[in-house]
Amino acid sequence: MKKKLLTMLLATTMVCGLVACGGNKANNDKKDDTKSAKSDKYELALVTDMGSIDDKSFNQGAWEGVVQYAEEKNIAHQYYKPVEQSDEAYKDAIALAVKGGAKTVVCPGFLFEVPVFEMQSQYPDVNFIIIDGAPHDAGDNAPIDIKDNTLSIFYAEQQAGYLAGYAAVKDGYKNLGFMGGVAVPAVKRYGYGFVKGAEDAANELGLKDGEISVRYTYVNGFAATPEINTQASSWYKDGAELIFAAAGGAGNSVMKAAETAKAQVIGVDVDQAAESTTVISSAMKNLKKSVYDAITSIYDGKFEGGQSITLDASKEGVELPMESSKWANFTQEDYDAIYAKLANNEIDIPTDATTEDAKGLTKACKLTKVKITVE
Amino acid sequence: MDVFYFVVQQTMFFAIPLLLVAIGGMYAERSGVINIALEGIMVMGAFTGILFISEMGDSMSGQGLLILAILIAGVTGIVFSLLHAFASINMKADQTISGTALNLFAPAFVIFAARMINGVQQIPFEDTFRIPSVPVLGSIPVLGDMFFKNTYLTTYVGILLYIIAAFVISKTKFGLRLRACGEHPGAADSVGVNVGKIRYAGVIISGFLGGVGGLVFVVPTSTNFNATVAGYGFLALAVMIFGQWRSGKILGAAFFFGVMKTMASAYTSVPFLKGLGLPNDVYKMIPYIATLIVLVFTSKSSQAPRAEGIPYDKGAR
Repeated sequence: MKKKLLTMLLATTMVCGLVACGGNKANNDKKDDTKSAKSDKYELALVTDMGSIDDKSFNQGAWEGVVQYAEEKNIAHQYYKPVEQSDEAYKDAIALAVKGGAKTVVCPGFLFEVPVFEMQSQYPDVNFIIIDGAPHDAGDNAPIDIKDNTLSIFYAEQQAGYLAGYAAVKDGYKNLGFMGGVAVPAVKRYGYGFVKGAEDAANELGLKDGEISVRYTYVNGFAATPEINTQASSWYKDGAELIFAAAGGAGNSVMKAAETAKAQVIGVDVDQAAESTTVISSAMKNLKKSVYDAITSIYDGKFEGGQSITLDASKEGVELPMESSKWANFTQEDYDAIYAKLANNEIDIPTDATTEDAKGLTKACKLTKVKITVE
Repeated sequence: MDVFYFVVQQTMFFAIPLLLVAIGGMYAERSGVINIALEGIMVMGAFTGILFISEMGDSMSGQGLLILAILIAGVTGIVFSLLHAFASINMKADQTISGTALNLFAPAFVIFAARMINGVQQIPFEDTFRIPSVPVLGSIPVLGDMFFKNTYLTTYVGILLYIIAAFVISKTKFGLRLRACGEHPGAADSVGVNVGKIRYAGVIISGFLGGVGGLVFVVPTSTNFNATVAGYGFLALAVMIFGQWRSGKILGAAFFFGVMKTMASAYTSVPFLKGLGLPNDVYKMIPYIATLIVLVFTSKSSQAPRAEGIPYDKGAR
């Protein structure tokens, strides 16, 4: 009897719990609806990559762009999360978004290349914005095929990395490190630019050959772990003064190591100054603005689909957030000067197309001041 | 010598959470309940612990805050593990399935709750807990450098909890009963031991240690909590099995993993490892290759509790 009573009680609590959760959810939906529009179709959709809309990086930046436009124009918007990391799941999520009424689907991440390639033909009336990727069929050498309803946006990460490396050396740092998340094109570009920027700044300062050392590695992950903390700690212990952590959440482990070692970190993608006092600056790409601009062009009927654009300094696609940066010697004037040079395309920076791995950088950029150690 | 100290200090960050969680797993399994929910329990413990630190960070700081957070993490682990205990002891459910369910539930719940409370999924916290050098003890030559510099209170709490746990399971009446329930619950029952209660106790202890382990894992290695403990709950299970469900061997196994992982991550600072000049990936394989080799020599006699994973059925006696 006692047992039965207990079971009943538990069952009731669980049901109540569920109802409470459900109730909450309904409330939230309602709130969203009133905030956006009365229609029950979500015209603007974003399908997240691995990560969520508050990853303080890629997906978040793109989502903020969507939200900004949607709120200004009172358009219903929604994000969808694929159930797993696979082409099929990504396609399903896009299909779900379209079914939900999406006229524009934003897809942040190069993992969307194959899914968008297929969906752009399947839904010719829907506009796709793919970031950091260009649609192509599965297979390594499949040609890029961008239909008129799709816009592919790339960023000149090498320029953001360049600014970071340039500023670091100008500021007086000589022992640098680069920790990338995974050796994907965007991360490589950050790293290569960082090395080149350090070299150029060293040349301007007239430093001796080999006076700047850069340790270079990929940590093979985007999550904070003791492994990454230990690796960064060992670098700092060996004398590194500053590590550029282009590794998403794994950057937090680098920051922790920096806090212990009283050293510095350069953040990535978005302004990470709030994450830790050790973040001296961040190599940013302006995700929010570019997604906002692309959506605006769609609604204004000026959509430039069918092509791939690269947002660089000339389009204010990359930057260092100087207001929150803590440089000692690198001034706003220095920044403006180098930024203008980048914007005029006066500086040739290697990209992932230049060399497959970082060991090739020494030759590709004729490094003399910078001694690079690839690990 | 400097390198040696560094490796010892970093090893603690790997070994202590593994040790705590593996000992927790040991308590559950030696009472007869398989607990693969350790990963989920760690996530929950880390969540409430870090959330507490984050919320109270304005009015409190330092070791007092950390101790409170450890308690909160432990209590959360207990509450969460009760679900597992209820399913596997009262409902006689399949313990693997119940554990898996909790592992799936924990990160999802944590993300949901963090968004409700904080707006974003990451919970940042300010680290006021690092101890550059323990007073007095830190100035002992050699030992001071090894164990009392650049450390966290969690290391000592972890070791203290380990000592208590190891003592209780092997030297007390309760420990004996717990072990009996895992080997032959029928025999334990026949002499008047309440198998259900003992197993509840085993799971509750594993929940406490798992929750604390989650917090201990996050505090020294990141600046925020992002709904994950990177698979260390499962690694702790491996440590427990590697340690043959015996507290002494688990201690060895946890530190073995810890040292190997540290070496693999910090090889560039260790002269003789760097001198080998192997590719990065080979160093990353070291812990696993070393484990395989050790297993080859030790796996002959597995000492798993005989009754683990089997719900106790009085009628089957």
